[in-house]
Amino acid sequence: MTIEQQRQGLAFSGSGHPTDQESLRFRRVSSRMSTQIYHEPNSSTSLAQEEEQSGSEPTLELRNTVFPMALKKAARQVQQMQVPAQFNGGSWKQKRIKFVRQFKSNVREFLYFFSLWGKTLQKIGGNFGGGVQSYFIFLRFLVILNFVSFLLIAGFVLIPSIVFRSVGIKPESSKADVSSECLKYDPNPQGLVVFYEFFLDLLSGTGFMEYSYLFYGYYNNSVIVTSLVGSHFSYNIPLAYLLTAVFYFAFCLICIIVRMGKAARVAVTTGGSDVRSYSMIVFTGWDYGCLGSKATKLKQRNIYYRLQVDLEEERLKKHAASLTLCNKVTLHSLRVLMFFVAVGLIVATFLAIARATTFSQENSHVPGILGLFYTYLPSIVITLGNFLVPLLCDQIALLEKYPPSATVVVALLRAVVLRLVSLGILLFTLWKQIMCHDSRDKCNLCHYNHEDYQCWETSVGQEMYKLTLFDLLVSIALLVLVEFPRRMVVDHWSCKLTQWVGRQEFVVPSNVLGLVYGQTVVWTGALFCPLLPLINTVKFVILFYCKKITLFYNCRPALRTFRSTSSAIFFLAVLLFGWILALVVMIYSVAVIHPSFACGPFRSFFRMWKIVPESFSTLPEGARDFLFFIGSQAFSIPLFAISCVFMCYFIALASIYGKSVAMLRAQLKLAGQDKQFLVKQIEKMKPLSPQHNEGEQD
Amino acid sequence: MGNKQTIFTAQQLDAYQDCTYFTRKEILRLFYRYRDLAPQLVPLDYTNHPDVKLPYELIGSMPELKDNPFRQRIAEVFSEDGEGNMTLDNFLDMFSVLSEMAPRDLKAYYAFKIYDFNNDDFICKSDLEKTLNKLTRNELTEDEVKMVCEKVIDEADLDNDGRLSLEDFQHMINRAPDFLSTFHIRI
Repeated sequence: MTIEQQRQGLAFSGSGHPTDQESLRFRRVSSRMSTQIYHEPNSSTSLAQEEEQSGSEPTLELRNTVFPMALKKAARQVQQMQVPAQFNGGSWKQKRIKFVRQFKSNVREFLYFFSLWGKTLQKIGGNFGGGVQSYFIFLRFLVILNFVSFLLIAGFVLIPSIVFRSVGIKPESSKADVSSECLKYDPNPQGLVVFYEFFLDLLSGTGFMEYSYLFYGYYNNSVIVTSLVGSHFSYNIPLAYLLTAVFYFAFCLICIIVRMGKAARVAVTTGGSDVRSYSMIVFTGWDYGCLGSKATKLKQRNIYYRLQVDLEEERLKKHAASLTLCNKVTLHSLRVLMFFVAVGLIVATFLAIARATTFSQENSHVPGILGLFYTYLPSIVITLGNFLVPLLCDQIALLEKYPPSATVVVALLRAVVLRLVSLGILLFTLWKQIMCHDSRDKCNLCHYNHEDYQCWETSVGQEMYKLTLFDLLVSIALLVLVEFPRRMVVDHWSCKLTQWVGRQEFVVPSNVLGLVYGQTVVWTGALFCPLLPLINTVKFVILFYCKKITLFYNCRPALRTFRSTSSAIFFLAVLLFGWILALVVMIYSVAVIHPSFACGPFRSFFRMWKIVPESFSTLPEGARDFLFFIGSQAFSIPLFAISCVFMCYFIALASIYGKSVAMLRAQLKLAGQDKQFLVKQIEKMKPLSPQHNEGEQD
Repeated sequence: MGNKQTIFTAQQLDAYQDCTYFTRKEILRLFYRYRDLAPQLVPLDYTNHPDVKLPYELIGSMPELKDNPFRQRIAEVFSEDGEGNMTLDNFLDMFSVLSEMAPRDLKAYYAFKIYDFNNDDFICKSDLEKTLNKLTRNELTEDEVKMVCEKVIDEADLDNDGRLSLEDFQHMINRAPDFLSTFHIRI
């Protein structure tokens, strides 16, 4: 091993620094250093880069060596003196490397200046650890994603619509041959409006808010084609609307996958080691960035707790191994029973949501506060379900007696299923109502339920808007009404009950699931409520500050920490699952349901996606032929074949790397065994030559 | 921006930039942090290489280090005299290795030296016991400490000599995804 060579060749005294007598030796060694090919401790690309770039003489990355500063400076001087001796190309390459490194560090500093909330995240990481910090990093990622999506939507859909409306271009009415019943759409309130209606409308998206840029129904199907002298300007709003939605989804998918790739790279290089080994806790458990004596004490308690939990798991394993057959059968049957109980609870929640949605849609025209309550009923039921069912599942988990690591995973899976599928149930119920699965006669006229939903897209958008708003209101309400009082009670009133309840813990998984749920709602609703990404950006920014306040004032660090690296992949995987759910909804709306006749950019089309073939005909000849060619078999089959070839290449490459990693690991183990064998041989040889040893000792 | 500072010569700054992971600005900022610990001892002019060593008590009182249970070992490992008294070179070296840009192997090497309390180039049982006690503030019982030490040596010792050598330690660190983010002091 090369570090062995270092240690032997540069025998430091115990402190690791040279004394005066040894410094001469180091000067000789440092001249050797630049002439021998040197395996640096840094296994990253810098060595490969420098060997490539400097040709015969590999330059030493001084900062990656393990020498003290004085030695590094001496080595650097030696290197500098040797540079003129090399051919000119070498020194130019060195200058280039240096320039690139300076440029990269300048760019890094510049970007750090722009990175949002950098110092806050550092403070959170120092005081509460990597797990909590990863939640806030995830939240920041979602804020930026939503903001950029909003810019996309604003640039292509919102601003042209505003411009065309202000210029005075009227919408074209539907050319389809359909009765006038379907064309009726009257969102503006009739008669006298009571003063508190303003707030009710703000909260439920009806009234003055319904016929505004917020919802689908306000956008027109204007297709502008101007052929002024010299310039040819055309803008097709419906096409822009649809394509922007498609690109928005694609953009979010690319962002998620890129981030997942970065996180997966870390996981792959560490080879998926077992998560809870003792050596990991002892040597990597201490966070050197931990600041403050309180945080340090808590970190120490945390490590103590983790070690206790591991030792406990060991005892449990030993106990489980010693169970009799009868006990095992009882335990497994109990687990199966509890599994069915959990499934039953979750299904009961789904039924409640479906019932609440139907009830809310039927009673949506009730005025006043009661009407507001009815419109918010699905959101209320979902939130209650998301709060109660995990609590009950936790109690069930106590009976199931899984080992602690399995308990956490099972609880997370249950929570994910509950949150995302409950949203799916809500959408499914809405769809049933719009396509009138129960009462066929309502849909005969206009292919959708025009009696209850004159503009069904706006109704779906309103539902998503209400969900988003309710989520934010509940978070703020919990903060003000539950978390602050809890902390005040626990701090100022010390009795057994308050000590047992204790201060709030910042539980990362459930908070992250809340974020994923919020983002899925936004994705689902973006097609029907184009300003929803903007609302979501503002909501997440408010949430960031609220959570930060509650973290610093009300919470104590969790005793059970959440691992930050493997959890990043988990968060992104759940987010991807939410994205797929939203994609299914979008595809369904675009391809299966008839757009409303009375409102929106697609009012004259049979299906939303029909706009694409129709705009095709307006393209110039050359572009049309090119696109036809791309869609034809002559292009797609060779493309498919080439991509198969590339995929096979990458799969082969990946398997080769995996095999070489496994082989190197085995080699390491073998080297250890060889060393052990050689040591044993030396021990055997020693008694055979006692005179040698005695002579040497004198 | 520019060469307005008079603390170091341009060559000195270049040398520091090559030998650490810091940029010019960060090196100057660290110099001011070093000087703030003892303004009367540290001169504002390093162009003639003054020989200034700050005693361990001052280094250990920095807010980034003062609550760290391993602060004494960190100072000892990076100091020239092995007692924790650090020159500016040592100071920069220490924070460079503990910064986020240092590679895994370099950090693993110094982490090994920090946990090697008796400086014999091996982490033996007594070193592990001291580490554990510092980690948990002496709250584990004797039996638990013994059990954990045995398990650690079981898991990490590849060459079966009852103690951890640098290779064993590095091999284990390579499988730890969190190491780079925990062995990191933000300054």
